Amino acid sequence: MAELSIGIAGLRAAVVTQDPKVARVVRDRFKGFDSSGPADWRIEISLPPGSLPSSGDVVVKRDGVPARFSVNRHDFTGTVDVGERTADVMLTQAHDVSEEVSIESFWRILYSLALVEAHGLVVHAASLVRDGRAYLFSGRSGSGKTTVARLSTDATLLSDELSIVRMTKGSAVCFGTPFRGELALAGEDRAAPLVGMYFLRHGDRHAVQALGPGQALARLLPNVLFFAREADVTAAVFRIAADLVETVPCFDLSFRPDPGFWEVIVNG
Amino acid sequence: MAEAYLTQSPRTAWRVYDGEAVILCPDSSTLNTLNAVGTLIWESADGKTPASAIVARICEEFDVDPERARRDIADFIAKLSARGLLTVSETIRQAP
Repeated sequence: MAELSIGIAGLRAAVVTQDPKVARVVRDRFKGFDSSGPADWRIEISLPPGSLPSSGDVVVKRDGVPARFSVNRHDFTGTVDVGERTADVMLTQAHDVSEEVSIESFWRILYSLALVEAHGLVVHAASLVRDGRAYLFSGRSGSGKTTVARLSTDATLLSDELSIVRMTKGSAVCFGTPFRGELALAGEDRAAPLVGMYFLRHGDRHAVQALGPGQALARLLPNVLFFAREADVTAAVFRIAADLVETVPCFDLSFRPDPGFWEVIVNG
Repeated sequence: MAEAYLTQSPRTAWRVYDGEAVILCPDSSTLNTLNAVGTLIWESADGKTPASAIVARICEEFDVDPERARRDIADFIAKLSARGLLTVSETIRQAP
C-alpha cells in the first residue's frame, strides 16, 4: 500500500492506494505539490480489475447524509464526505480516458466541494503572479487563458486553466494548482494576494473596463467549477463568489495576442 | 379582497448592488437581477409585510399610482413564483 501526501491551496490530502500504477500517476501528476504535515483529507483511490458499469457525464449529488456526495462519471465512481473529510474513488478503466485524466478530474471535483468549507472556489481561469501580486484571468475555453499565460514570460504561473481562490480574513488569496490546460504546465505551489480579476475577450486592442460587483458576479459564476445542484451548497458558492467580487477589483479585459495587455492592467 | 403576504424562498442566496438585487435561482443556478422596484418588493418579502403595504411604499418611493403599483407587484409575484424564488400566502408566515 502506498500513502502519498499532496497539498493544494493549503488543503493537505493523504492519498492511499493499493495500486502501484495509481501511486505513480498521482506522484507524476501532482509533482511539485507534495507536502508534509498532518493531512486535512484522506483520499482512497482504487483500480479494480475489469471495467465497472458507470454513468456518462459528471453527476455530483448528495448521498444520503448532508455532507456526503456521490461523484460519478463514465471513468470513475466515488464519494466525497466533506464532514469527515474523506473521499474514495474507483477508476472504472474506461477505454477512452487515461488513469491520469480520471484521477485529476476527480481531484478537481473533490476540491470544488472541499473548498466551500474553506471559503474558496475553483475557477476556470489562468492566474499569474507579478511583483508578488496575483492576477486572475477568467473565461471559458477559447477565451484566451492559455494565451495570456503564454505571453506572460516575466510572471509566475499559478495555472493556465483552473485557479483556486480563497477568502481569508476579508482578503482574497490566489493559489497555484497542478491543474493544467493547453500549456501542459503545472502551476507553481505558491500563493499571493489577489489584486484583480479580469474577464477575457479577444479584441483588436488592449482595454480594461471596470465592473461593478453585480456585473462581476454575473461574469464569475458561470466560470466557477461546481457540479452539485443542491440549493444549500450552490447558495454557499454564491456567497463566496459575492464576497470575492466585493473584495477584489474586477474588469472586462479586451486583448490581442501580445504582452501589451499588461500595460493597460498596470496603468488602468 | 384577501391580503397577501410574500415570502422569499429560504433556498435562495442574494445580494443587493447599487440598489438592484441579484438573486441566485436555486433550481437552475441562474442569476436574476431585479430593478429598483423589484428590489423593494423582494426586500419586503419577509412573510409579515402585507402586499398592500408594499404597494403603498412603491407609490411613495417611485411616484406611481396605486393601480400601476398593484400591476407591478402582481407581475413580480407571477414571475418570481414561477422561478421558485417566492411564495405567497393569505396569512402571516409564522417564525419556524
